[in-house]
Amino acid sequence: MAKPDQVKDTDLRAQIEKAYAAMRSGNGTEAVKVLSDAYLYLLNKYPEMLDETIEPRPGRKMFAVMRWPMLGANLTLDSVTQKRPQIEFVRERFAVSEAITYYEYTLESAVARGA
Amino acid sequence: MKFGLFYELQLPKPYDQDQWSEDDELRIYHNMLDQVELADQLGFDYVFEVEHHFLEEYSHSSAPELMMAALSQRTKNIRLGHGIVLTPPAYNHPARVAERIAALDILSNGRVEFGSGESASDMELGGFEVERGLKKAMWEEATREVTNMMTATPYAGFEGEFFSMPARNVVPKPRQKPHPPLWVAASRRETTMVAARLGMGSLGFGFETPEELGERANEYYRLVREECMPIGHAINPGLAVLNTFMMGPTDEEALRRSANGPGFFSYSLGYYYNPATGGKHPVGAANVYRKYRDESGEAQAQERQQRSGFLAEDEIRQGEPEEEVQRALYRAARSGNAIGTVDRLRKTLKMYEDQHLDVMVFVAQAGDRKHEDIMESIDTFGRQLLPEFKERHEKTHRKWRQEQLQGVEFPINSSI
Repeated sequence: MAKPDQVKDTDLRAQIEKAYAAMRSGNGTEAVKVLSDAYLYLLNKYPEMLDETIEPRPGRKMFAVMRWPMLGANLTLDSVTQKRPQIEFVRERFAVSEAITYYEYTLESAVARGA
Repeated sequence: MKFGLFYELQLPKPYDQDQWSEDDELRIYHNMLDQVELADQLGFDYVFEVEHHFLEEYSHSSAPELMMAALSQRTKNIRLGHGIVLTPPAYNHPARVAERIAALDILSNGRVEFGSGESASDMELGGFEVERGLKKAMWEEATREVTNMMTATPYAGFEGEFFSMPARNVVPKPRQKPHPPLWVAASRRETTMVAARLGMGSLGFGFETPEELGERANEYYRLVREECMPIGHAINPGLAVLNTFMMGPTDEEALRRSANGPGFFSYSLGYYYNPATGGKHPVGAANVYRKYRDESGEAQAQERQQRSGFLAEDEIRQGEPEEEVQRALYRAARSGNAIGTVDRLRKTLKMYEDQHLDVMVFVAQAGDRKHEDIMESIDTFGRQLLPEFKERHEKTHRKWRQEQLQGVEFPINSSI
């Protein structure tokens, strides 16, 4: 499992560490906001991620980046198809457990990409 | 490795009838009492029971606190696990959860395991008007406050996003201090890691392979050591996973007794948790069991079961769905890890033990398996296998676990 020190991009790592600190202090909302920025940064730096698809069930394809958790900070499908990724906030507050979910996903994605 | 039993209280309708018989629910409830009483006498460590609502045939266990109360008076040692209580406030007000957990802990003389979760089926979320996108936040807020209610005298009150209440002394307080061990339902890897970070046991529905489990156990315990931010006042480090269970004098006979348990379990779970089917469930009018048999084809199902019961792990994995929950369903229907003879189970369960699993929880009551077969399986396992696993748990696993938890700075309340 990925750890922040495996992220080579110093700006991205700083964002992930900032999100972690927010989580530790119980501020899930702040952490989700920072992680959303971090994920968009990752997608903009590696735009080929927007073309990758997976097949979660036989015969059903989806954009791999849409596995980003949809817990209220939602990556919009239109923005992915238009290659201008955007995250829409449909809620104002986030719990720590939700922030953890976003954190794990962002960190795993960054390390898997070699960022 | 410790062992438990897991109950959904499944009740498939008869294939050729639209409703159950009058005594069917009475029968499965009392069968469960008998099964758990036997398991307790033989030294099983845990029973976990779900809370589900409106999931006809899949689960008739909507008031587990009552079953647990009954079991508290019919058993002596087995731990009574909520696997899990739905804690979003629309299902159960947090103060009522705290009161019921504490009362059960007193009745059972400190044997409660407090698992919590959110559910994900449209039947339940819609039935209680719980917004899907908010359920995780609701779960966390409510579960955190339940632990505060169980420990604070008085509880200072709370103004939250999903519930509020004034200062009150929530009584009784639980027998276990500061509160019973905390678990959370975890169907995905990421939920297991959330559990670790929040200091909760992970009650896994993923039907993991031993190799996956080994990786997960190492990472889980690392997170508990290094990155834990407890949701409660004591942490409960522990990994539990489900496995389908049935024994027999021969592997073939065990498979026959296993009947359609794993298949129906997987099918009905998928049916209710897939919005395309569960969201359109014709309440009171469907026969899910008939659908299962018609869609799978009785003859094909039997044949597939015969073929797949003892497939090697790599054979089971061929054709697995990529998506994690779908994969768990696929495995639930096909894995024969805890189905077979004493020798087979000794060998396969040892693989999980070697990967440092804390608790293996058996799904015995499923589909239209027979009570007599379940009782015999519990008896066989309890007499012929449980003692050796218990001995190794005390001699080996406890030591490994203590090493994993060295340096943990939080109080621990765990029965593992």
